[in-house]
Amino acid sequence: MKAPLPVVRILRVKAILLPLLAAAILAGLSWGSGGGGPEALFRALVGLPVDDPVLADIFWKIRLPRVLLAALTGAVLALGGLVFQALLRNPLAEPYILGISGGAAIGAILGILAGLPRYPWGSLASFAGALGTVGLLVLFASWKTALGKDALLLSGVMINAFCGAVILFLISVTSDVRLFNILSWLMGDLSLAAMEQVALLAAVTAACATGLFFLSHGMNLLLLGPDAARSLGVPLEALRWALLILTSLMVGVSVSLCGLLGFVGLVMPHLLRLLFGPDHRVLVPACVLAGASYMILCDLLARVLPRQGEMPVGVVTALIGAPAFIVLLRRAAR
Amino acid sequence: MNPAIEVSGVSFSYEEIPVLRNITFRVEEGDYFVIIGPNGSGKTTLLKLLCGLLKPQRGILTLFGLPLSRYRRRALARLAALVPQAAAIDAPFRVAEFVLLGRAPHQGPLGWETPEDVAIAREAMKFTGTGHLAGRRMDRLSGGERQRVLIARALCQRPRILLLDEPTAYLDLAHQAQIMDLMEALRTERGVTVVLVSHDVNLAAMYASRMVLLAAGEILAAGPPPAVIAEAPLEQAYGCRLAVETNAGGFPRVSLVPNGKGGPRPLRPAAAATEVER
Amino acid sequence: MSLRRHGGLAAWILIVIVLGGILGREAAAAEKRLLFDQLGRRLEVPAEPRRVVALAESVTEIVFAVGRGDRLVGTTRFADHPPEALRIPRVGTYIQLDIERIAALRPDLCIGTRDGNPRAAVERLEALGIPVYVTHPMGLASMIASVREIGGLLGAVAKAEEVAGDLERRIARVAAHARAQGRRPRVFFQIGVDPVVSAGRGTFLHELIEAAGGENAAGEAEGYPQYGPEHLLRLAPEVVVITTMTQGADFEAVRRSWQRFPRIPAVRDGRVHVVDAAVFNRPAPRLVDGLEQLARLVHPEIAAP
Repeated sequence: MKAPLPVVRILRVKAILLPLLAAAILAGLSWGSGGGGPEALFRALVGLPVDDPVLADIFWKIRLPRVLLAALTGAVLALGGLVFQALLRNPLAEPYILGISGGAAIGAILGILAGLPRYPWGSLASFAGALGTVGLLVLFASWKTALGKDALLLSGVMINAFCGAVILFLISVTSDVRLFNILSWLMGDLSLAAMEQVALLAAVTAACATGLFFLSHGMNLLLLGPDAARSLGVPLEALRWALLILTSLMVGVSVSLCGLLGFVGLVMPHLLRLLFGPDHRVLVPACVLAGASYMILCDLLARVLPRQGEMPVGVVTALIGAPAFIVLLRRAAR
Repeated sequence: MNPAIEVSGVSFSYEEIPVLRNITFRVEEGDYFVIIGPNGSGKTTLLKLLCGLLKPQRGILTLFGLPLSRYRRRALARLAALVPQAAAIDAPFRVAEFVLLGRAPHQGPLGWETPEDVAIAREAMKFTGTGHLAGRRMDRLSGGERQRVLIARALCQRPRILLLDEPTAYLDLAHQAQIMDLMEALRTERGVTVVLVSHDVNLAAMYASRMVLLAAGEILAAGPPPAVIAEAPLEQAYGCRLAVETNAGGFPRVSLVPNGKGGPRPLRPAAAATEVER
Repeated sequence: MSLRRHGGLAAWILIVIVLGGILGREAAAAEKRLLFDQLGRRLEVPAEPRRVVALAESVTEIVFAVGRGDRLVGTTRFADHPPEALRIPRVGTYIQLDIERIAALRPDLCIGTRDGNPRAAVERLEALGIPVYVTHPMGLASMIASVREIGGLLGAVAKAEEVAGDLERRIARVAAHARAQGRRPRVFFQIGVDPVVSAGRGTFLHELIEAAGGENAAGEAEGYPQYGPEHLLRLAPEVVVITTMTQGADFEAVRRSWQRFPRIPAVRDGRVHVVDAAVFNRPAPRLVDGLEQLARLVHPEIAAP
C-alpha cells in the first residue's frame, strides 16, 4: 500500500493551501478603491512608515475585517457543499442550490421584521430558517419517489425557488425601511464587514469545522451507501443529524452576515476532490483553506472589476459557479 | 456450543406488505450456508435482518447465543460483515483506501490507521487476489474485481460471520467459481461462517454445506443440498416444471423442463430435459 | 499553523493599536466641539471641518447652498447639482457607500441622511474615528432645519440663515396663494413607471402637494403604494405629475400611456406633466423650487408666485 497515512496527506494539503490562503489574504488587503498596493501593505506589515497614514486604517480596519469575513464565509460554504454532497451522495448538492441558504435568508428577514437585533438573534433566526429547510428536505427524502436520488436535488431547487418567492413577498408586503438595502445583502455583500461579525462567524466556524472534522471519517463511510455504512458500525441517523445541524448552524450564521453566495460549495469541493481524492479527513481542512482563499479572491474581483463602486460578491460567485454547475452536470451525465 | 446464527419465528413486513413469515432455522459455526429462492421471496430482507439493518416485527435472532438486539452496532460490525450487492461506487476511492474503510468498526472516530490496520488490509487484499489493484480507482474496476474488493473490505472487519448478497450476479462462470472458491477457503482456512444469498441454484448446490429454500416469505425446504435440491419443493417454489439430475461431478443439477407451449422445443422428444442456464 | 496565523494576527492588532494611538493624538490636537445630530446622537466634530464627505445628493446640495461646496472632498454618485458638484470624487451611492474610498479621502466630517444611508455603514465610519452627522429629513421644515444645522457645522451660520429665511418666505407665499384658492384639485404624483408607484401619506411629496394647494389622490395610502390601471380610473386625478426618477425611461411614452384613459379628468384637460425628479426627490433647497413649480401646475389660473 503506497498511499501515505492520512496525517501525512493532511499536512501535505495544508502545506499547499496555507501559502495560497496567505497569498489571498495579502492580495485582498492590498487592493481596493482606497488605494494601497502590495508595497504599501508590506511597509505597513513590517512597521515601516507608510506615506499615507489613512492607509493603515484602510488595511486594518476596513479591509482586514472584510477579508476575514470573506475567508470565513468561503470556508463555511465550501464545507457546506462538501457535507451535502456526502449526505446526498450527489456531486451537485450545495447549500444554495438546495435552498438552505434561501431558508436562512427568510429566517434573517423575519428576524429583522420582528425587530430582533442583528447579532446574535438575527443569526439565530437565520439558523432556524436553515434548519427548517433542512427539515423539509429530510421529509422529502423520506418519501419514495420515482426520481430516486435526484428527487432530493429537485426538491431542493424547488425549495430554493419557493424561498426566493417568499423573500420577494416579504419585501413587497412591507415597506419597512429596515429592509431598505436588503437586495444588495441578498446578492451577497461583504462591504460593511466589521470585527464583531468576524468574531461571531469565526467562533461558529471554528466550532462547526472542528465538529465536521471529527465526523469526516463518517462521511467517508456514508459514501458507501446507507446499508454498507450501518453494517460497518456507523450510527447513521445520529451522524446524519449531527452533520445537518452543524452545517445549518454555520450556513445560517454566514447567510445572516454575508447574504446569499451561491455555488461556492459546488466549485470548491469538486476541485479539491480532483486534486486530493475523496478522503473527507483531507477534504474538510482543504475546504476550509481553499474555500476561504477562493472567497477572498472573488470579493477582490467584486471590488476591483467595476469601474465605479463595487458589485455584490454573490454576482462573482454565481458568474463563476453557475457555468461550473453545468460542466459538472455534463460530467455526471456521462 | 451455541450456533453461529439462530433464527426463530421471525416475521417481517414492509409497512403492510408481509415479506417473511415465521422463519426458523439455524446456522452452525463454519457452515457454508446458502439461501436460495425465486425473485421476491425475501432473501435479501432475510440477510438484512441477519446483520441488524432491519428489525423483525416478531421472533428473535441470536448470534452466538446472544440476541441480536443486545449487540451494539460497532460490536455487531466486528462480528458480522455484509457484502452488499455490488453497486457502483460514486466516490473515486483508490482500492487500498476503500479496503481500509472496512477497519472502521475497530478504529476511533477519525479512522486513523495503525500499522496493524494496514497489515490487515494488505492481507485481506492478498487473500482475495486484489493486491495488484491497490492503486486503481474503484469506479474503474471490472465486475469481478469490484466484487472481490468488496469482500476484502468485509474481511477487514475480521468477522466471524460473512453475509453476502448475490456475490456472483453479473459475473461469468469462471469469476463465479472464483468467488465461491474464495468463500470455501475462508470457511476452511479461517473458520468463518459464510451465509450467502443466491438465485443460482446449481452453483449453490455445488458449494453449500447447508441451505434453505425460501418462497413467498416462507421456508419450503432446509438442510444439506440433497434435501433441498429436490423436484417437489423447487417446483413449488419456482412455479414451473423442473428436472433434477446428477451431473458428472456427482452434484445435483436443476434444469427447466420445456412445457411444449412455445419456448424451447425438446431436441430429442424422448429426453425431457434441455440445458438452459437458469 | 494556527500559532503562526495567530501570531500574525496579534502583530497586526498591535500595529493597529499603535497607529490608532498616533492618529488619535494628532486628531486631538485640533479643536473639537460636542453636539447632537438630527437623530439626537451625540458626536464630537471639529470646530472647523475642512474635509467633508456628503453621503447623499441632498446633503451635497445643502452644503453648496450654504456656500461651503469647496470643503467637499467626496460625494455620492448622482450628485449633479450645482454643476460644480460634478468635479468632486465619488464614494459610491448613498445606499451602497464605498467605506474604503471615504476613509482614503481622510474626511474630518461626514454628513449623511437617515433616509437611505445604511446604519451599518455609519457605524463602520464612526468605528474608523470619522464623525458622521446624520440628518433626518421628514418634510420641508426639517429640510430647512438641516440647512441651518449644516450651516452651523461648517461655520456658515449667517449664509445658512439667509438661505433658510428665503426658503421659508417662499413657502409662506405659496401657502398664501394656495389658501386663496378655495378648491383643492386631486393630484396624482407618479414616481414609478412600471409598475405605477405614487406617494401616499407620510411622504415628502404628500406634503408638497398639500402645500401647493392640491389634494393627494394617493392620500388614502401610506408610504409608496402601487397602482394598476383600474385603480387609476377610480382615482380620477385632475392633475398628473410624473417624475423622471427612472433613468433613461421614455417619459413621453409614459405620458402617452395616460392618453389611453381619456375619461380621467387630468387626461381630458391636458394636465399630465413631467417634472425633474432630482428637484422633487432630494430634501434640499431645490425642493422649494419644486413646490413653486407644483403650485403652478395645480393652480395654473393664478399668476406664478
